[in-house]
Amino acid sequence: MTITSISPIVNERRFSTPPPGGAPRIYPAPDFPFKGWQPPQPEGYRQSAATPSESAIIIDNGAHTIKAGFSFEKNPHLLVPPIVAKYKDRKYNKYCAFVGYDAYADATTRGQIRTAFEQNTSIPTNWDIMEGIYDYLFLKLGVDNDGSVDRPLVITETVANLGHSRRMMNEMLFECYRVPSVTTGIDSLFSYRYNKGQSGLIVSSSHTSTHVIPVLDRKPQMQSCTRLNWGGSQSQDFLLKLLRLKYPTFPGKMTTEQMETYIKQYCYLSKDYVSEVSTYLDWSGLEEERDIIIQYPYTEQVVVEKSAEELARIAERKKESGRRLQEQAAKMRLERLIRKEQELEYYQHLHQSYLEAPTKKEQRRILDDEEFKDEAALERVIRDLDKSIQKSRNKDLGAPEEEEKLEEQLNKFPLLDTPDDQLDEDGLKEKRHQRLMKSGVEARIRAKAEKERERARAAEEERRDIEMRETRFDVWLQGRRQQRDQLLAKIKEQARQKADSGNRKGMASQMRMKTLANLAADGPKRKRRGGGEYDDDFGANDDDWGVYRTVATEPASDDDEPEDDPLTVLKAVESELLQFDPEFSEKDTIEAQNDWTKSVLHAFLRGARPADPESQREANQIHLNVERIRVPEVVFQPAIAGVDQAGLVEVIEGIVMGRFSDPNQQKALLKDVFLTGGNTMFTTFEERLQRELTAAMPDAFPINVRKASNPIFDAWRGAASWWNNPDTPSREAATVTRAEYLEKGSDYIKEHELGNFVSPSLGFAS
Amino acid sequence: MPPSTPQPADDSHQQLLDQMDIYYAPKPFRNATWKPSTRRNKNTKQIISESQRKEASVLATQNNSGASTPNPATGATSDGAATPAYSSAASRPLNVAQATQSLSTLVLERNLQRAANGPVAGLGGPAVTYTNIESAPSLHPANHKHYCDITGLPAKYTDPKTKLRYYNTEIFGVVRTLPQGAPDQYLAARGANVILK
Repeated sequence: MTITSISPIVNERRFSTPPPGGAPRIYPAPDFPFKGWQPPQPEGYRQSAATPSESAIIIDNGAHTIKAGFSFEKNPHLLVPPIVAKYKDRKYNKYCAFVGYDAYADATTRGQIRTAFEQNTSIPTNWDIMEGIYDYLFLKLGVDNDGSVDRPLVITETVANLGHSRRMMNEMLFECYRVPSVTTGIDSLFSYRYNKGQSGLIVSSSHTSTHVIPVLDRKPQMQSCTRLNWGGSQSQDFLLKLLRLKYPTFPGKMTTEQMETYIKQYCYLSKDYVSEVSTYLDWSGLEEERDIIIQYPYTEQVVVEKSAEELARIAERKKESGRRLQEQAAKMRLERLIRKEQELEYYQHLHQSYLEAPTKKEQRRILDDEEFKDEAALERVIRDLDKSIQKSRNKDLGAPEEEEKLEEQLNKFPLLDTPDDQLDEDGLKEKRHQRLMKSGVEARIRAKAEKERERARAAEEERRDIEMRETRFDVWLQGRRQQRDQLLAKIKEQARQKADSGNRKGMASQMRMKTLANLAADGPKRKRRGGGEYDDDFGANDDDWGVYRTVATEPASDDDEPEDDPLTVLKAVESELLQFDPEFSEKDTIEAQNDWTKSVLHAFLRGARPADPESQREANQIHLNVERIRVPEVVFQPAIAGVDQAGLVEVIEGIVMGRFSDPNQQKALLKDVFLTGGNTMFTTFEERLQRELTAAMPDAFPINVRKASNPIFDAWRGAASWWNNPDTPSREAATVTRAEYLEKGSDYIKEHELGNFVSPSLGFAS
Repeated sequence: MPPSTPQPADDSHQQLLDQMDIYYAPKPFRNATWKPSTRRNKNTKQIISESQRKEASVLATQNNSGASTPNPATGATSDGAATPAYSSAASRPLNVAQATQSLSTLVLERNLQRAANGPVAGLGGPAVTYTNIESAPSLHPANHKHYCDITGLPAKYTDPKTKLRYYNTEIFGVVRTLPQGAPDQYLAARGANVILK
């Protein structure tokens, strides 16, 4: 099948507004599956006491849930996940053990959870945990016999269970619990038997793996069975991985238990994956049908809405404090002014006494006391004080300091017109000062004129631009479009440079490394000899420091004045184009193109509504959309999750067409394809498999796919009904008694129609 | 670890825990003298490698381990046509020295015979073990469709730099702005990451 549906998607994405619809579907994130205290149910055990050898305890030893009950019951009444939290309570200084759902009681117990099965396999590897679970099972079943569990046991194991695991199981059951007998069988075969299967193909997709077992005339063809390493637990891990990648900064804590709920409740098996996934993020129906929002707990940042009255009060308070500050400043200015006036008075008095002093010596003494060099210094201090007092007074009065026109100021330098020979020394000094002042004023006048000219030039340019637009519109338009393209290229280049800045192999970094290498090579040529310190005089010349400018990561821009942000310029150009270019419409602007409604990624991450990056509520939401079909699809296309195995259809094809040559057998197998196990619970599983098998298989074989009446419980029910079967000899032929165990060892099993076979190469010499 | 569930002020939660705790609960049905083997917890990798080693050592003791077909020189009657070992085993002369030499061969033959005529028909061929029932990699070209690593949509393109597959130019932009290490995580989700050892 080729991908044909790409171009229509692109067209369909052209929605400018989100589709109208009701409220989005938001579901709360589920909590841990804690079920509270479960009292023991000893009724079954008491009832079984009437026929202790006929009433077996049936245990479906599943990696997801262990189901247990008595053979005369209709359903397993104990469902226990194979987990134990065992730890030492520091506070009460005692050991604790919580089994099954009890282990989810609180954070401490959850932190100590260990599972009996190895991850992603159906093989029990932690037998201390397993023992804890069986203790719990027998406690809850109400077994109270002294020294042994005095009921036969029927347990299930996985296909081709490992010898060590079987040995340990038998050892535990016969030695620790001293059960009278154990019958071991395969869960999916029990389920098939319960659903009255004769010949067919069992597809058992369970928590850890997917098995395909062909059965002919009630006999499983174990040498042709196949396992695909994908099941519910792998799906959970995969979904968790996908969501962590989708929301890398997600603040909440996503757990595998939650993933299980999402898969059960929101995921489904697509009937036609490729075409469905192609249009999955289209707007139409995204919100109504495909996007699921999970809301994790969050605390919204509280923004208190202030009333108008409150706002007014705040403004008043601000004004008040401003006024107070102003008053304080005025007061301080006044104080300073008074102090200055006092100083001025003192110095004027000093000057007076200096002038009135009778002798030169006396004059000198007065100056020295105040540490003045000469009379001019004293006079300067007085003048400065006077001036600053004047200035402060002006400010206090709010008098404008520089209201006079610059031109008028020019006339305020009278001394400049006076020739030098008419002036004394002070006069000359004053003249020099006035010349300086005058040149300052002139510079300001020139700057003002420059500004004026610039304004005129801009106005002229604009006028010419308008004229151009009116007279030669096409040229003008071309220029504008060119400008827009250049700006776009510039923005792109800037983004590229920014992205490149961290790249070690980037152009900029390479240039920098080159410079550094050159600098190192330029270093001292003369080797240091003896102990003599060699100084290369770096820094003595100011130009030396320029190397740091070239070494700096950011290339120094040629002109110092900051350039306009290309985005703002672009906006201006675009607004002009919008106004005058008939071909340039609202949707062509860069803003419209970057709009979220055009974004596939937005639909993927945030669904069919605009996102608010500030909102805590939205930050704690996850959107399930493509994942809803992507995760269940792995059974059919394991490559999606990187499993290097053939998909379910190819596996079935390989078994039916490759391992069986008799067309009658092939026909018989395909006539009854039987689904069991928790991972087949997706409602469309049969339909999908039927369709794909019909496509893959020859016409001559009619294909019928059916699902177990209850894909999860039927293994247990099958084992129970098998035990209750009146055909006692076949039951005995499959059961290992305690005597046989003691005689033949812990890995002894009896081969029967619903169990594993002993592999010949490691078999027992009989 | 700080408890994420709010603890009630009274000790009702502790009472609940005490009720559920089975560590000290009386378990009369257990064998009081039961002492589990210390080496009973093994992971599947250990178990499989141990059993494979065992298997290999069994095979190595066969002096003609190349096949279950014994060397014609040791067998007295071999008509050339009947090569299967177990068919000729019955007519083997009772030479004690030779029998000792090929005792292990005999055991292997017996086992094969047993497998062939065993209680269940059709159980010939290789043994069914946990490792060899794993399904093979896909050989069908139609099953190698490419999907976008970011969104899961069908992907036509592959980024030569990160090797990520992507749906369109917008996603390409995302691919190129991913932080360090993120592309590897995406690749790991599809099992295509390079692991340096």
